[in-house]
Amino acid sequence: MSATLTYIRTYLVRVILIIAALSGLVTWYFVSPQADAIANELQIWNTAAASWTLFVGIITIFSHYIRSVMKRERYWPYQLYAMILMVLWCIMGVWSGLYSNLYQTAYLSTKITLHIAILGQLIFFFISGVYRTFRIKTARTLLYAFLALIMVVLNAPWTQWIFPNAEKVTFWLLNNVGMSGERTLAITGGIGGVVLSIRILLGLEKGALRATEEI
Amino acid sequence: MVEIPELKSQHIWVVILCVYIFTSVYPIGVPFRMSEATLKAYNFIDSLPPGSIVIMGGSGVFAFDLESSAAMIAAIKHMARKGLRLVALPLGTEAVQFQKYCIDTARVDEKYGGPWKYGVDYAVLPYIPGGSAAVVSFLTDVHALVSTDVMGNPISKLPIFEDLHDYRDIALWTCPHWGFWIVRYVTGERGIPMIGFAQAAAYALYSVYMMIYPDKVWLTNGFLGGAQYEKLVGIKGLGHAAMDSYSLISIFVVFFVILGNLRLLSSIKEEEEVIE
Amino acid sequence: MISTDPWVWLSALLTLCSFSLLYGDNPFFRFAQYTYTATVVAHSVVTGVPTMRDRFMPLFTGQKPLMVVPFILGIMACFIVYRKYAWVASFPYALFIGVGTGLSVRAMVATDIVGNLKAVIREAGDIVVGPMPSRLGNLVRVIFIITTMIYLFFTLFHKGPLSKPFRYLMTFGKYCFLAYMGISVGNAIMQISGLCTSAINRLIRTWLGL
Repeated sequence: MSATLTYIRTYLVRVILIIAALSGLVTWYFVSPQADAIANELQIWNTAAASWTLFVGIITIFSHYIRSVMKRERYWPYQLYAMILMVLWCIMGVWSGLYSNLYQTAYLSTKITLHIAILGQLIFFFISGVYRTFRIKTARTLLYAFLALIMVVLNAPWTQWIFPNAEKVTFWLLNNVGMSGERTLAITGGIGGVVLSIRILLGLEKGALRATEEI
Repeated sequence: MVEIPELKSQHIWVVILCVYIFTSVYPIGVPFRMSEATLKAYNFIDSLPPGSIVIMGGSGVFAFDLESSAAMIAAIKHMARKGLRLVALPLGTEAVQFQKYCIDTARVDEKYGGPWKYGVDYAVLPYIPGGSAAVVSFLTDVHALVSTDVMGNPISKLPIFEDLHDYRDIALWTCPHWGFWIVRYVTGERGIPMIGFAQAAAYALYSVYMMIYPDKVWLTNGFLGGAQYEKLVGIKGLGHAAMDSYSLISIFVVFFVILGNLRLLSSIKEEEEVIE
Repeated sequence: MISTDPWVWLSALLTLCSFSLLYGDNPFFRFAQYTYTATVVAHSVVTGVPTMRDRFMPLFTGQKPLMVVPFILGIMACFIVYRKYAWVASFPYALFIGVGTGLSVRAMVATDIVGNLKAVIREAGDIVVGPMPSRLGNLVRVIFIITTMIYLFFTLFHKGPLSKPFRYLMTFGKYCFLAYMGISVGNAIMQISGLCTSAINRLIRTWLGL
């Protein structure tokens, strides 16, 4: 593609970006029914266009798996199985409907079951991890391990039964010490987010729009 | 000094697995106390007039959200008893399944003998992509954003949507997900009260907004909050089961940390003896 | 009584396959892994059907002919997967990022920055009023937030006469942050423990019926 076309394309992208961003800002800071209508329409366009991205995953994974199966790469039998399962799953899902009991049962019995089991397993790694890492060697480890353990114990029903005020201490720690750290992150993250947004609007931050660059 | 051997991870895992199996077969049933935070959330729902529209909206990962489901299911039961109405707004690809799971498990639909009728007392929308754009647009004009429910029925034919046009018609927003960013638009911009059935890992994240908007945002804390809400509603669900095993697991966490530190102490003594 | 429901059996076997990772990487776990991937990706497609129907219903019923624009933009967004034509996707992505940026900026300024700072000022005033635990809590919040912000923001300059007290404040801020992390991790254990309970209960109670 010629340099001129790339130039036009890049600036067209920036124009879309700036108009879309300003629509959200203008409608909030100024009273204008016209601006409100434009902003709302652009937001609806956003939700509609984004619905196509739901199909990006299957295109990507199929193109990768087909290549892998053709070349008989490592794990290709699993990938072949995954492709067959994907096709069957899509047929079953579209035929029965997303909100049907059949689809719900199938989804709960496979994906959700697996995900819960994978996440649930973390408790094993976590406990063997704390056995090794919560060894008090420095003041920092002491503070970190002590507070983590205090929370583990205070949340347990037996502690709350023995010490009726344990629950109050839990929430005091969460709402004061815990919240302070998170609030700091929110303020700093907020400032960072605003700076990043301004950089995007000024065309200094390309991020996902790297696609505009010449390949 | 007695030498304490270093434990292998597998040994610890076997012990932990046994604890979970034991509590699953023999539930201990340790009673727990009610927290003020859960009580406030319960009281707010209780104070809403019958017919008020509540939104169950957010985006998240089902497996993580399972923790929030304990309180959400109990809250749905509570809403149905109070005669409130519910619109489920999925903002994540798994949210439709999660919200169906919560509504089905609460057994509030008339097909399970409950008081709710689909389309009249509750409705489920299809997944709406776009994150913040979807939330803002929904709050601005529901009918401009959404045309059908999850099953393809036009929302103009569902009676519940006759009373839901924009943010002014929403009495409460409940979020059984990590969707703390939703508070910014729902409560921050539109002033709608919100109850977050927060996962334990997200509680601190949510509590920031609870402090910014006191008396507008309430939270329950993880499985414990779920178990407490279940107790208030009078059911025994996942919250109770989770807290039962947690009672025992918490003891083992402390035990293994103490053991690890004793091991550290004994290894230091060993080194000192070798030097001497 | 052991369950006779094939879905319960499938669920239980997949749970066992997943837990087999504790023994080490093995074909059963890999089978579970690929099942997981396949269902996640296919679910996205199944979800896409009612979503597309809802989003583009006004276009096909003729209520909103302008919806043809996001329809085309959506197709263009799918080009992101082809490196050679990925530039086509930059137009819809500009819309996504633009709308998201505009909405985030206004919300973050109002809540995360201004809202939080207002809350800190309010809490600073509340240090001298109310019951003792609440006063202590407000004091902790204000001190922790100021010192942690110093720790996070000023990582570079440590020169001049104030460098020493400044560094003390930073160190204190670091410890405050560590305290927050300890509390968050401690509280989060309840979540993964509960998820494990759910998985084990599925095996013991639902499947084996014990």
